[in-house]
Amino acid sequence: MLAETAALLPFLVLFLHLCLSVFICGSFFFFRGAMFGGIALSWSALPLEVLEQDELRRRVHERGGEREVQFLFRDYAPILPVWHEGQLRLVTWGNRRRDSRRLPCTGWTWLATVEAGGWSRCDAEPIDIPATMGLENGVWYQVRQGIRGLLVRDEHGAARVYMICEPASYYYRVMTRSHWMPVLIGERF
Amino acid sequence: MGVPAAVGHLDADCFYISAERVRNTFLLGKPVGVLGNQGAFVIAKSYEMKAAGVKTGDPIWEAIVKCPHGVYLKRDFRWYEVLSRLMLDVVREFSPEVEYYSIDEFFFRVPSDSERSLQETAEVMRHRILQQVRVPVTVGIARSKTLAKLISDQAKPFGALALVDPEAERALLDRTAVQEICGIGERRAKRLAEYKVFTALDLALANRKLIRSLLTAVGEALWFELNGDPVLPLYSQRPPHKMLSRGGAIGKPSADFNYIWGWLVRSLERLIEELEYHRVCAGRLETWVMHYDGQVGVGKVELNGPTDRFDLLLEAARLGLRRAWLPRRTVARLNLVATHLQWPGSVQRGLFDPPAERAETLARLKREVNDRCGRFALRSGATLFVNEFYKDEAYSYEVCDVRGKICF
Ligand SMILES: [Mg+2]
Repeated sequence: MLAETAALLPFLVLFLHLCLSVFICGSFFFFRGAMFGGIALSWSALPLEVLEQDELRRRVHERGGEREVQFLFRDYAPILPVWHEGQLRLVTWGNRRRDSRRLPCTGWTWLATVEAGGWSRCDAEPIDIPATMGLENGVWYQVRQGIRGLLVRDEHGAARVYMICEPASYYYRVMTRSHWMPVLIGERF
Repeated sequence: MGVPAAVGHLDADCFYISAERVRNTFLLGKPVGVLGNQGAFVIAKSYEMKAAGVKTGDPIWEAIVKCPHGVYLKRDFRWYEVLSRLMLDVVREFSPEVEYYSIDEFFFRVPSDSERSLQETAEVMRHRILQQVRVPVTVGIARSKTLAKLISDQAKPFGALALVDPEAERALLDRTAVQEICGIGERRAKRLAEYKVFTALDLALANRKLIRSLLTAVGEALWFELNGDPVLPLYSQRPPHKMLSRGGAIGKPSADFNYIWGWLVRSLERLIEELEYHRVCAGRLETWVMHYDGQVGVGKVELNGPTDRFDLLLEAARLGLRRAWLPRRTVARLNLVATHLQWPGSVQRGLFDPPAERAETLARLKREVNDRCGRFALRSGATLFVNEFYKDEAYSYEVCDVRGKICF
């Protein structure tokens, strides 16, 4: 009996180690891979100086004969457009590549966490992420204005944006099979 | 000049999609689908999405496989209804006799004194709706309703076609399968096939008595219609609703006349909002009173003529309450039901009604003030006795204002 327990010990250690990494990444862990795929913004909605940036070129797609820029979380270096101080800027989306040791390694945060002051130590700032469409589990859907986001600084002083989400409404869950949905500006599914 | 007797059928092209594109031009040219059943199924699709193989009724999970670049939207019946009313207004400019067949389809009689040819009428109508409502429609004009609908079905999208020449009609019927006729389903088509009736032309040329024996009087009517004999009536007086109702529980059960009357007047103001929204007039007003002990009283009052005027309906409500309320009993709920609804266009003013000018000016003023300052900012003095309306603005007495529902 004792020998059996001893044999299980390495697994127990591994399990505790896993639990610890989950704890480090906080409650955000569960979002990884299972969340929101990205957004698209019609070409005409972007100012010229932003369109000239290199990061955008490979993100340009065509739909119905019109150009649009897609910002997907699965991109090698995910970014999102944000309105900040009256200007449209491109900011790193979350911390998927784990460049920051301090920030959660996802691209999302719960509205409840934000409201409970979970980000108050990170100098977080609410911002708007403009979007014409959202993508979730392969379903592109219309977005009227955009999505609410949180702008934070990592330990290197670099800006990062997290998308704010909430539990999915019944409609959103049926449409996308997702249990979370982004907090939209001025509308709700 | 004068034109031959003709009926038109106007049908919006992919109406839900077109309606969404009116308020969001970004959707133009893209494959778009509107979802119903809580986001589970595609209930309307654009031509671009149709080309990708998506069908109405496809589950969203099949649709995204067939059309991965499609944009999916939530349906918004209120918006579609707004545009539907605007289209109806334009059609009414062309014809005094319009049947509201569905949210995006209307039948209308082409006035015989029209200055335009039938073809011009179809084209001008299509153009005017695109210009004023920004929704593309197809217009078909023919000798009967059934023919007009067949024409508009085939002229889609953005078609305008008048066909009254029998030769042209024959050609149209010849290329139309019999099951494409509105009212003939697969089962009836199978029955007809046994008698070698495959096309609409076969049906039109078949023996009328045979058609009657196979398809009853409904089929016989279609036979007449296909032969250019307009036997199906135009229901220009039938509004989309049979009745409209407003009311519900009053704040607290009471036997005080002023309190009860205040509630009833508020219900009447809400009911008139509904009548105005749906652009219908009431031919009868029913006052339902549910007493605290469970007894129900009804007071039905016929109006001199269909109306949406506050002063006339108020008198009817007063009389209705007198008939419905059991003396000195405590009242728990009140409901006002407007029935015998009619379009205002078809309404003749009651001969014995007091002059309309003053009442209409008042009603317009009330509407304008409330549009600008908020709902019920200007309201009847009778509602003063119900203090709840004033004490707590957050208390919602409008919970029952779900269109199309009765909340007794
Ligand atoms: Mg249609």
